[in-house]
Amino acid sequence: MKNEELNRGQKSGMMKRLVRVSQFFIFHFSFFIFLASCSGEYVGVPRAEVLRYQTVSTYGGLYELATAYAHSLNAAVKADTLHPGMYAEYGVTLALMGHTGTACRMLNAEMKAFPESRGMVQRIKKRLMPDMLVDTLATARDTANLAQLASWAYDSLTALRPLPPVAPVIDSTDSVWISQQTPTDSVEYPIRLTATQKRELLEKQQAEEAMRQQHVADSIAAVKQAALEARKQAQADRDQEKKAKEEARKAEQKAREQQREEERKQKAAQREEERKRKAAEREEARKNKKKK
Amino acid sequence: MGYWLLKNRKKEICGNGVGRVHSLLIFFLPLLLLLSACGSQKKLDAYSDIYAERPQVLYIAPLNDLSVRHALRTVDDSLYNLSLNIAAKHLYLSAADPLIRHGYYLPGPLASAQIAATEWRTGKQLRNDDITDYYTDLGIDAVLFITLHGWNATYNTWTVEVEYVLRSARTGLELMHVSVNAMKMLTTDFKGNLLPLGEDADFARRYGCDIETAQRCRLVEILNQYVLKDLPSGLKARQHTTEGYIPSHPEYFNLKIHPDGSVQMLKTELYE
Repeated sequence: MKNEELNRGQKSGMMKRLVRVSQFFIFHFSFFIFLASCSGEYVGVPRAEVLRYQTVSTYGGLYELATAYAHSLNAAVKADTLHPGMYAEYGVTLALMGHTGTACRMLNAEMKAFPESRGMVQRIKKRLMPDMLVDTLATARDTANLAQLASWAYDSLTALRPLPPVAPVIDSTDSVWISQQTPTDSVEYPIRLTATQKRELLEKQQAEEAMRQQHVADSIAAVKQAALEARKQAQADRDQEKKAKEEARKAEQKAREQQREEERKQKAAQREEERKRKAAEREEARKNKKKK
Repeated sequence: MGYWLLKNRKKEICGNGVGRVHSLLIFFLPLLLLLSACGSQKKLDAYSDIYAERPQVLYIAPLNDLSVRHALRTVDDSLYNLSLNIAAKHLYLSAADPLIRHGYYLPGPLASAQIAATEWRTGKQLRNDDITDYYTDLGIDAVLFITLHGWNATYNTWTVEVEYVLRSARTGLELMHVSVNAMKMLTTDFKGNLLPLGEDADFARRYGCDIETAQRCRLVEILNQYVLKDLPSGLKARQHTTEGYIPSHPEYFNLKIHPDGSVQMLKTELYE
């Protein structure tokens, strides 16, 4: 009997403690959750990426920004916490990257989700993709399900990824691991090769490299030859033009000298006539004087 | 839940002191909140212009940055200028957050940049000119102009002077005008170097910038949140017409931000 009471007392003590602890946690945690919700950061815009891109604008930064927008857009649509301007931001990013078709879809989705953005979206379209300004009819078909569109945009990111030129890398060890990058999924995967395959691959690569170098050398030689011929032709044209100019100048000079000679002769004849006339006048005057 | 608490409260009042304190807190906290809410006023009275205009679509005009940069003589000068540039950009970017939380529609930073690229007027002209074309062409109801007047620094403070003006694009009326001189207190070591502590260090790590830039960015971010938090909610918000509040700041004021993140508002009669 005593044990039962003791057990009951222990249980009630345990319950009291449990109640106190639960009250303590309910009170404090609700208060902390309230405080946390008051000071939460808006996650619609990946601000770090935007700040980085606006400070140093590069294509890589733009791609990073597009990725961040796609991730946040996908998460927001799934959680039903879509913030205004997210589709438009992703659309502008894609348009700046040159993917105008997808960008147009995103901007149409923004117009559908937030009809008050129509004027601004039209202005952005007019600036970035004027040929798609009137393409709003596709909005109803493409953006019937915004969640599906966001998911599609998220999945299509790999197709948008700029592929850097990657050459296969071969180790000198027996087990060769090649890092390749496919244009479809851009995922690195290893391939194990035997020694024969390795040798064949090396020979093939060397032959390809030699062909490429030969092709480059031929191209350079052809370009140099073409440039030399063009230079010679230009020189010949210049010489011919110079000769023609010289001849024209000489002919002009000759004509001018002839003209000058004629003028000189005419002036000499005029002077002679004048002199004769004056001499005759003087003679006549002298005769008249003698007569008087 | 309430019955369960009441039942246990009876037990605990007779029990030890710790449980009694918690029970009292649980019962008196809502009462205190209720009493504190009695001192609030309706936003409908304080922001009558905004309620008359009923703006839903806002646009933040490009930042009018009047702060002075250093002439480029040394590397430190370029770093200082870069720090100010990043802080100015962050001032513009972080101004959207409180407005979006209030339920307004705002275009994002890249979309805003595209809209601003089609504008031929300067920031000062836009601030004083007729902006009804923003309403007729773009459907924007109000434009927020932010002017950064300058930065000051002492050995343990950063100070920034910012002016916020919200103008209606329909009528051109000023819906809000706030000028603030915000000061952030810094923590330094015995050599005078800045200590990366708390949220500043977290910001520097997340954004990949130095501690000086992070502190400036945190300063303008807190400033934006403090200044714009009193605006009424957007049209689509449920509490649009009924919400009450306690005014947090007058039209001109000083703001002091302590190293632990707490904010102290100091009223001033005349903004200098």
